[in-house]
Amino acid sequence: MAEQALLGSRRAVGSRRASWRIILSRAVTYFFLIGGALIAVLPFIWMISTSFKTIGEAQGVRFFPTQLRFENYVEAWNEADFAEYFINSVVVTLITLAGRLSFSILAAYGFARIRFPGRDLIFSIFLSTMMIPAMVMIIPNFLTVTWLGRIGPIKWINNWPALTVPFMGSVFDIFLLRQFFAQIPDELFDAAQIDGAGHFLFLRRVALPLSKAPVLVIVVLAFIGSWNALAWPMLVTNSPDWRPISVGLMQFVEEAGQMTNLMMAGAVITIVPILVLYFFTQKQFTASIARSGLKG
Amino acid sequence: MIFPATFLVFLFGIFPVGFALYVSVNKWRLKRTGFIGMENYTDAIGSLAYVALFGLAVGSLIFAYLQFKKIREQANEYNERPWHLALPGAALALAVASFVRWTVLLLPEVLGIADKIVGQEKTAELFRRLLGEAFRAAGVLPAFWLTMGLLGAGILLEEIFRRTWRNKRNLGYQAQFSILFLAVGIGVLLFWFTYTEASLAYLEAIETGTDTDIWAQIITISSGVLLFVLAWFVWRSAKRAESDRGFIFKLLAAVMMLGGGWLLIAELPIVIAAGDKDVWSGLVITVFYSLGTVPFQLAISLFLAILLFQKLRGSEALRMLFFLPYVTPAVASAAVFKQIFGARQQSLINQLFLALGLEPQRWLQEPNGVFGLIAESMGMDLPGWMAGPSLALVVIMIYSIWVYVGYDTVIYLAGLGNISQELIEAAEIDGAGRWQVFRNIIFPLLSPTTYFLSLIAIIGTFKAFNHIWIMRHELSVGSVNTFSITIFLEFFEKVRYGYASALAFVLFAIILGLTLLNNRIQGSRVFYG
Repeated sequence: MAEQALLGSRRAVGSRRASWRIILSRAVTYFFLIGGALIAVLPFIWMISTSFKTIGEAQGVRFFPTQLRFENYVEAWNEADFAEYFINSVVVTLITLAGRLSFSILAAYGFARIRFPGRDLIFSIFLSTMMIPAMVMIIPNFLTVTWLGRIGPIKWINNWPALTVPFMGSVFDIFLLRQFFAQIPDELFDAAQIDGAGHFLFLRRVALPLSKAPVLVIVVLAFIGSWNALAWPMLVTNSPDWRPISVGLMQFVEEAGQMTNLMMAGAVITIVPILVLYFFTQKQFTASIARSGLKG
Repeated sequence: MIFPATFLVFLFGIFPVGFALYVSVNKWRLKRTGFIGMENYTDAIGSLAYVALFGLAVGSLIFAYLQFKKIREQANEYNERPWHLALPGAALALAVASFVRWTVLLLPEVLGIADKIVGQEKTAELFRRLLGEAFRAAGVLPAFWLTMGLLGAGILLEEIFRRTWRNKRNLGYQAQFSILFLAVGIGVLLFWFTYTEASLAYLEAIETGTDTDIWAQIITISSGVLLFVLAWFVWRSAKRAESDRGFIFKLLAAVMMLGGGWLLIAELPIVIAAGDKDVWSGLVITVFYSLGTVPFQLAISLFLAILLFQKLRGSEALRMLFFLPYVTPAVASAAVFKQIFGARQQSLINQLFLALGLEPQRWLQEPNGVFGLIAESMGMDLPGWMAGPSLALVVIMIYSIWVYVGYDTVIYLAGLGNISQELIEAAEIDGAGRWQVFRNIIFPLLSPTTYFLSLIAIIGTFKAFNHIWIMRHELSVGSVNTFSITIFLEFFEKVRYGYASALAFVLFAIILGLTLLNNRIQGSRVFYG
């Protein structure tokens, strides 16, 4: 950044023609950047504006509504069942998050700091599964989940286990956390052991506080992954009782027909939690994306 | 500590691969009705399935040979004679094979428990009894004891040899031998399986009087592919040879290429016609989708990243706005696009078209090719094969570009941050213009990033599902059904589990092949500074 500033100042002290060129190039740059940003944001603006229209306006050609109809949100929330879908999604996401986070942390710690025979072999087998496309897994997993539901004491299909349990073992999480845990110096662990702390205490008091950043990344990715899931919830839910919001919105899109305004209100309801999460963790999130280049 | 996650990864991440393979060789619509070998695969891609399996067998044997060479080289290097260690290696390889056989026999029995339990009270005791019955079922128990016996023999031999020949490379040799024998076993088994399957299909074809050129197809296509591979090797050695011989080699490679190409061009359309029409059209649509998204997406995001990199006022906020589409739930943003690109006259895009004096279009409900539509509006008539991707697919491409530009920009920005400023300044002092700096310094130094992004993006188009599922409309009559959508439809709507699993493996093979190909082609061109 300093170098850039230096470059700029060196240019600025040049001739008057040079400074003209800089202003012009700035203007062109801003033109393209702001144009790009407008295209990126335009669908969102349209969505929000449509969500406040009457049905008639939503079918018409006006871009902005004549008057803000907040009733659309109430209607979508109550009558179009978005309240139920929203709560389902929150519950499913929280259960998945809790399970996934605790299992991943435990496993990552085990792979990073405990020696046992076959550890590296198991870990490399884990890593190789990250290449397999989800379409290969979806059919056998559906059969497994159905089978578990039929033999076990609790229902799996159309219930929380099918929606959450398969996502609790995440190779990506384990991989990411293991990197961090492995970097913790052995001296710290030795010192803790002398003080009488075992693995669990060390994990809770030393390793986890040192790895806040990756844990946060995992929380965000798990949240987004669970909130956005479509194909799997579509398969394993067949009634509104457990249908998450993504599937709810999909069905509304298929069935609502003319009620574009309500549909857009539903879309806003679906998007808001993710956007709130994104705005709060924006810095770490983009940094981690730039580093790892992966999304859950 | 690792148990819960390991168990879950195994149950929902590793076991399903084998299970899917098992499902794909069975006739399985909702329920399994019997083993049918490769029929699902040949239904999908015709005789190519045999060729692929044949190739896999050859690959397995080549791998075994390379493994053998590695062992021999290592033995020569340390002047050792590890050949007796092949015994425990073989025993362990047999134990692994026997274990797989046992699970394959056990699986249907265990799956059957769900049917037996119907109508009875689900108690732990009943489940335990049924599980016990499954384990003791005919054939399963002997297979289990065979596995145990082989495993025991392997461990026993291993112990004996470890004690008699104390060497720190002992266990390494044994592991290498096990892998060697496994590869040989898999190779031979695949050869045998391909041969019997193809013969069976051939006999059946003779009986029913349909086309009987299975063997001819297999041989022609295999030799075509073989010629291509050989040509590649010859070409590579031509690069290293001196000019005269290099020229002859190159000529030879070109001739081989021509021969291989001729064989493939002559034979492939026939094979493709024998396969599933939906599968091939899904493949073509996915290729269109890749070609229509990846280059544009990368070009736009590189452009934006370079502009953003100047650290102007507000660039942080702009970056956040560019990234917004990527974090938005795909279902919601695809629903918005579905409305914006609606077929009605009043939809936003058609209003824009009317304002620009253009004809309103049917967008997501338009199954006709986009080039054909453009030609039509200019009064020309293009032949069907030149019509290009449907307008509906173009909308989906626009959506994908809109979503992924932000992500690619962030990665490009990270890549730009790694380029040393001194290099650029030095070039500027030497009088290089902006374009020259970009062309000769920035772009080559960014090639690892470009490589990574293009790989991710291409694979992403093959996996793409959510947004296409939302945006597809009946009136686009399958013109947006990419390969993933085709698989899901087979599974979800037609409940052909076995067939869909086979298709999923074809997808897997394609993705794997693309990754390897990309590594070969781009890996050699990427400039790591």
